[in-house]
Formats: sequence, structure tokens, C-alpha cells
Amino acid sequence: MEWLFLVVSFVAVLAAGMMLTRQNAVHSALFLIVNFGCVAFLYLMLDAPFLAMVQVTVYTGAIMVLFLFVIMLLGAETTTDTSGRMRWLGFVGTALAILLLIIFAFPLASNMLNDETTHQPDAQARIRVINAIPGGDAQTFTVMDMGRAMTLQETVRGNVLLDPVSETSDDTRLDGVIYEYGREAARDYIEVAAGDYTVIVGVAGRDFESAPIYSQSRALEPDSAHSILLFENAAGLVDVALLEDDISAPAVGKMRLTLFNAVTDKQVSLVDVGQYSARSTLCDDSACGSLIPHRALIEQLPAGEHISLELEAGSYNLALVDEDQNVLRTLAAYEAERGMIETRVLVREPGVPGSQSSYRAAVFNTIGAPAFGSPEAVGQVLFIEYVLPVMLVGMLLLVALIGVIVLARPDALAQAERRRVNRRRRVNRPLVSVISQQTGSNVLSGDYRAKLTGGADDPAGD
Amino acid sequence: MNPIGAEPYIVLSMVLFLMGALGVLMRRNAILLFMSVELMLNSANLALVAFAREWGQVNGHVFVFFVMTVAAAEVAVGLALIVNIFRERQSINIDDLQQMQG
Repeated sequence: MEWLFLVVSFVAVLAAGMMLTRQNAVHSALFLIVNFGCVAFLYLMLDAPFLAMVQVTVYTGAIMVLFLFVIMLLGAETTTDTSGRMRWLGFVGTALAILLLIIFAFPLASNMLNDETTHQPDAQARIRVINAIPGGDAQTFTVMDMGRAMTLQETVRGNVLLDPVSETSDDTRLDGVIYEYGREAARDYIEVAAGDYTVIVGVAGRDFESAPIYSQSRALEPDSAHSILLFENAAGLVDVALLEDDISAPAVGKMRLTLFNAVTDKQVSLVDVGQYSARSTLCDDSACGSLIPHRALIEQLPAGEHISLELEAGSYNLALVDEDQNVLRTLAAYEAERGMIETRVLVREPGVPGSQSSYRAAVFNTIGAPAFGSPEAVGQVLFIEYVLPVMLVGMLLLVALIGVIVLARPDALAQAERRRVNRRRRVNRPLVSVISQQTGSNVLSGDYRAKLTGGADDPAGD
Repeated sequence: MNPIGAEPYIVLSMVLFLMGALGVLMRRNAILLFMSVELMLNSANLALVAFAREWGQVNGHVFVFFVMTVAAAEVAVGLALIVNIFRERQSINIDDLQQMQG
């Protein structure tokens, strides 16, 4: 990476230098295009792909073409060099610029070698509730935090609500909005101040502190994200797990898949079976002496545990298998999109008792924030936080447009003026008709012409 | 993924900015002068993007966007001015534009 940066920056500086020293303006413009291209490349290296494309289209595409147009339109490739008198100023200026550069670059360079820049911590933690209980009767549970007086009321079966339940006086509601979800839904992350919390889950309407389903103290670190996952255990009771989520952007070209095993009596493995076939087992023969070719992605995930992995973007045929190599669930033609963060919870479908259990990998997508520097991220900031400046810049462009038209107009006006003057100078009637009126004879008639050429009769004497 | 910090980018942007400033000061061709200004704006943009990456804030990218917009407007108006000046005096040498000299 370092060598790439060095090469690109060297080319950029070289192109800038060539641009400054060329006498021919067209050459300068072409070198400037090279420089802009290098800067676009550096934008790509700085995780700003959108700006890189804008740089190429706007700068190297539009602005430089405008420059080249004007240069060639004017035919002003070279100008008379009048800087000869002050040539020593150039050398002094260059020396001063290098001096300034050294003064500024030294602290930066020493910084580069010494310390890592410490970022301002974002003292916010994120938490959400995932309801992974298969549908059924509505039953209200409440997730409640006692430490910070945060209350979340969740209807586990059916809709998910956010409503304060506790009537305590110092109850600070985080959010008054009521969210409605179907079953197997995840709430968006909400931001809470980082700190120590006690997460208590209980049935709404009951006394939390005496009979909670779940109660655990957890320090929510800044920038961390947690999920309160509600699921059904083997006994059919609601169980709760508090997971720490990794919401950082996945590596480039990958997605992150988090699998939670909510089937309490099985250990599951996630395997990539390659070619899809509707098999119910990974065994190749009845005695399970050999397995069909597969690639294990997650091995033997115990119940109530979760694990994350990063998958290369692409299409997969995945299968969730238990410890006896029985396929619990296939995920055929699973599309792994780059940058996606997905949480899957393997749950047992509520079925007819006694029949074969079926399983489902309930999906809870969380694309936390769009990837840094992507068009989505830039667009969101641009059109939400900076709407007014966008409007003002649009106005500025309009003013510039009108200004250019006005600037280009005087010449056109002068031409119109000249045309008007020309029209006024033109005589209304042909000159010959004026003469014939004044002389009283038709100058265009043949006899007049004959007289002019030495004819006998004088029409004026008649 | 990217092991390079922001500092090399800042240094590069300073180098490019100073080159642009030197161009503005030393060249006499008005079009080249404009190109040097573009070079300076670009180096400022590079610094903004580097800082945006360093701080993990997209706001820097938004500023770059605005700078590009303003640069486009500036170039359009500036080139229209240059065309007018060239029509007037058949030269775009800025040393020829002395009538406002006090």
C-alpha cells in the first residue's frame, strides 16, 4: 500500500510540476488532467469511491474540457512572456514555498512516526431487541433497564411496542414512538449513553424486580452494539440472550453473517455444500460412513451461543446441519452481498406435536450504517444535514450560469447594435427613384439612358 | 485495510497546494493561472478527504462536494471573463491588464 501511495503521489507531483512549467497551455491542461486522475486514485485509497467518480466526471471530464475548449477557441496556447524581468522572484518564491513546506511537514512527519491518533470516543452504545420467537398468541414482555431508568416494552408474540411501563418518577424515556413489527422482527438499534446497565426482561404488567424472566448486568461500552435476543427454549419457554454485535463494516467485498442457535437441544453447524441438492442429510450412505463434499463454515455451535463469520460476496448453497449430519435447514442460492451484516437465528417452527420438527433460520438484517464514503453515506449526510447549503450552492450555480450568460452577452449586444445601425444607414427607397422624382423623369427608362449615351432628344426640354 | 494514516496525504496535499500557489504567482497566462487555482482547490479537497477518513466522518466528503461545485461555478465565470478579455485586447497575459493599476 505504501509503495502504491508513493507511486501515485509521485506521478501527481510530477504532473503538477510539468503543468506549471509547460509553455503550451494545452500541454499544461493535459498534465493537469493526469494530476486530477492521480487525486481521484488517492480518493479511492482513502475510502471515498463516490468522490473519486465525481472527481473524474466533474474535474477531468467537465472542467478540463471547458479549459481545453477555451484555450483552443482563443488560440492562446502561448502568451508573450513578460515574467523575464522578475525571474529572480520565481526562485525566491520556490525557495520560500519549500521552506514553508518543511516547517509544516516536520511536525506531521514526526507525528507519523510517533503516535497513533486517538479518536474522540463516541460515548454512545447501541442496543436492540430481536424477537425470534415464532408466531403465536400475543404476549407482552418488557425489556427494562433499571440502572438508567430505560424502559422498553416489547410484545414478543405479535407486535413490538416501545412504551414506558415503569411508573417511576425519574423514568427517562428514550423514545416515545411506537414501533410495530410482525413476529420475528428486530427493532432498529437505539442509541443509549454508554455505561453500566441492568437488562431486565419480564412480562408486562407484572412486577419486574421480583419476577423477571431475565436479568443481567452488562457494561455497554462506547461504540458497542448489543442485541437482546428473545427466543423459545426446548421447554417452550421464553429465554433471553444478550449478544454483543459487531456492527463495524465487514472487510471489503465480504459480508458478515452472525448465526445464533436458538434450538436448545441441538448443536448446529453451517456448511457450504457447493452444488445444491435437496438432501436431508450430509451422509453419503445410510450408515453415514462418508459425507458428501462440503465445507464447514461454523462447526458445532452449541445452543444459546452465537458466532460471526465473514463470507466472500457471492452465491452459496448453505445448509444448517445438526451433530448427526441431518440437514435442519438449507439456504439454497444464498446471496452474500458485500457490506451486508446479517443476523440469522435458527429457530424451531411451532409444529404439530409429535410430527417431525422443522426449523427455520429467521433472518434479521442489520445494515447499520452505509459503508463509509459510499454514495448512500454521502447522500444521507448531504441531503439531511446539509440541505440548506445544498440549496445555497444550487443558487450559486444558477447565479454563475446567469453571470456567464451576461458576460457573454455584450458582444452579442454589440452585434445587434451594428445590425440596427446598418439598417438605419440603408436608404428607404432606391436611389434611382429619388433621382427620377427630383428630375421629373424616369431615369430607368430607355430614352434617358439613350440621352446619356449621346442621344438627340432632350427629355428635359420637352 | 489501509495502513497509511492521514499524514502522508496531508503532506502531499501541502506540496500540491504550494505548487498551485507558485503557479498563480509565477505564471502570466490567465488560463494557466486558473488551472493553478484548480490545483490548489484539489489539494484542499485531498486534505479534506484524508481528514474525513481519519475521523470517520462523511462531512468531509460533503465539503469536498461543495468545493467542487464552487470550483465549477468559478471556472465557468472565470473562463467567460477570459474570453471577453481576449476579445478586447487579443491577449490573456495578465501583465497586459494594467488599466486598474493605481
